[in-house]
Amino acid sequence: MNLTLVGIAGIVILLLVLFFLGMPVGFAMGIVGFCGFWYVRSFKAAVTMAGTDIWTTFSSYGLTVVPLFILLGYIAFNSGIAERLYDAAYKWFGHFRGGLAIATIGADELFAAICGSNTATAATMGAVALPEMKRYHYDTKLSSGTVVTGGTLGTIMPPSVVLIIIGLQTEQSIVKLFLGGILPAILLGALFIVTIFVLCRLDPQLGPAGPKTSFGEKLRSLTGVIEAISIFLLVIGGLYTGLFTPTEAGAVGVFVTLLVTVLARRLTWKGVVSSVSDALKISCMVFFLVTGAIIFGRFLAVTRIPFMVADFAASLEISRYVILTFVLIIYLIGGCFMDSLGFLVLTVPIFFPLGIALGFDPLWYSILLTMVTTLGAITPPVGVNIYVVKALAPDIEIGTIFKSVSFFLLASIVCIAVLILFPQIVLFVPGMVH
Amino acid sequence: MSPRFCSIVRSGLSRETPVKHSNHGIAFFERITRVLNHVLVCIAGCFLGAMVLLTCANIFFRLPWTIGMPISGAFELMGYFGAVAMAFSLAFTQTRKGHIAVDILVLGFSRRPRQILNSINDVLCMVFFGAVSWQITRYGITLLDTGEVTETLGIIYYPFTFCVALGCAAIALVFLTDLLRSLFSKEDDK
Repeated sequence: MNLTLVGIAGIVILLLVLFFLGMPVGFAMGIVGFCGFWYVRSFKAAVTMAGTDIWTTFSSYGLTVVPLFILLGYIAFNSGIAERLYDAAYKWFGHFRGGLAIATIGADELFAAICGSNTATAATMGAVALPEMKRYHYDTKLSSGTVVTGGTLGTIMPPSVVLIIIGLQTEQSIVKLFLGGILPAILLGALFIVTIFVLCRLDPQLGPAGPKTSFGEKLRSLTGVIEAISIFLLVIGGLYTGLFTPTEAGAVGVFVTLLVTVLARRLTWKGVVSSVSDALKISCMVFFLVTGAIIFGRFLAVTRIPFMVADFAASLEISRYVILTFVLIIYLIGGCFMDSLGFLVLTVPIFFPLGIALGFDPLWYSILLTMVTTLGAITPPVGVNIYVVKALAPDIEIGTIFKSVSFFLLASIVCIAVLILFPQIVLFVPGMVH
Repeated sequence: MSPRFCSIVRSGLSRETPVKHSNHGIAFFERITRVLNHVLVCIAGCFLGAMVLLTCANIFFRLPWTIGMPISGAFELMGYFGAVAMAFSLAFTQTRKGHIAVDILVLGFSRRPRQILNSINDVLCMVFFGAVSWQITRYGITLLDTGEVTETLGIIYYPFTFCVALGCAAIALVFLTDLLRSLFSKEDDK
């Protein structure tokens, strides 16, 4: 059989295995890649390739950054940093109409600066913010939507696990990807706040104003923010100045956060064990996703599919932005059915060379793909953040949460459009690093 | 941290719960798998902790006002420690359903077809990880026979490859246990 046909058959079989067997994404990519390689070459070549890839990926120094940043996120998650961030944001914004929702986005933004996962951000802030918003009679449409979408900031604001994986897969600087994510994350947070403001202007019952706090209380609340900002500055500042490699930044972040939270007696031994076990579980999942994608990528490379797709797209007589829109729509739809990280890892070997062939800046293109795929976490049917909020507030109907997300979805799409029109928003900060 | 908060955090993760089987053979098999996974994940946690300490010590010692030199071989040790930590967490992650899957279609099937699909899934994954474990073991034996050492420290590194092979074998065992459970458990056990 023609190699191209074998490649297409491999992709079709992968989708069938993914959707009809419910096999984990990393394993499915690994097994289909293995079988495809076996078909094209031989069993011996396939088993040698799979064994070598697993060993080299697992023992790669570059990937050691993953468990360290995930551990940092879980320690922050289990140590109550989020409560103090929310308290500070609440003291500053709580007295405005929709102020608690704005406070949630503000705290999300700060928490995302030390935690690289959208689910962890949504779960942490939801546990803190949802009961407060309920207490002040916020409409569930606003409260649930805020928590669900605010969590997506965790993927874009550095340190982000998704950006680390894209960096490793596409051989880009993780530092530059981290720096490239800062302004888009701030812009997205600002657009969420504008959305809340507009919604509360249109319907004041959505988010009634909370009680006022004195200026002294506002100032005192800032002590709760210092810790998170210090960790962020240490990690990102160390990376920016070249003091640390990404792996070292993760380890220093873990060490300092652990030290501060244990000394302040905010993290128990049980919390440490829970953080380590959850970090191992998530990191292992990420490692095998990457390994599976590498094995599948080897099979695709033999069939030359990624290069053919890139050449075909580059030869089309249409604007590259039309192709980009197509790619983004594919990512948006794909993100609805698959976990965002899984979908990215699966498709980057095909769509990244395409973006490069079209002449897009790899850093800007990677941030765009991350932003679009992240929307999958807040869209049906497998929007993981939605189910996190449902678990936190079982009395809120799932339909209400889906509806509430639609307002914020518009803000995300506007943000993506702004980034397409003004790539400098992504490229400005990384451009300052030499 | 309230107990409710902790339970919420874990709500998305289905915990492996011991099932009482009328088939003692399967129950025994499950117990072995559980104990093995527990031991492996404890070792993995120690290696993760060692990675944090090693990296921080490396940064500390290279500061000009300490000894001003990094720890020799920290780079290669980090890679090997990471390999052990991740390989030993493979089976644990599978038992906690931590490997992300697209199950929206599968969940729509009735029990019998779902059981058949799960069994196919188990067989494919078990064979794949078994083959990979065998291949990595062979690679480790080659390293052992040739006495190959790391570039900087000059230490043998085949034990790390055996650890990765063991991690792959452990996850193959988890799939075998799942397969046996779905094939031989009685209706009321499921």
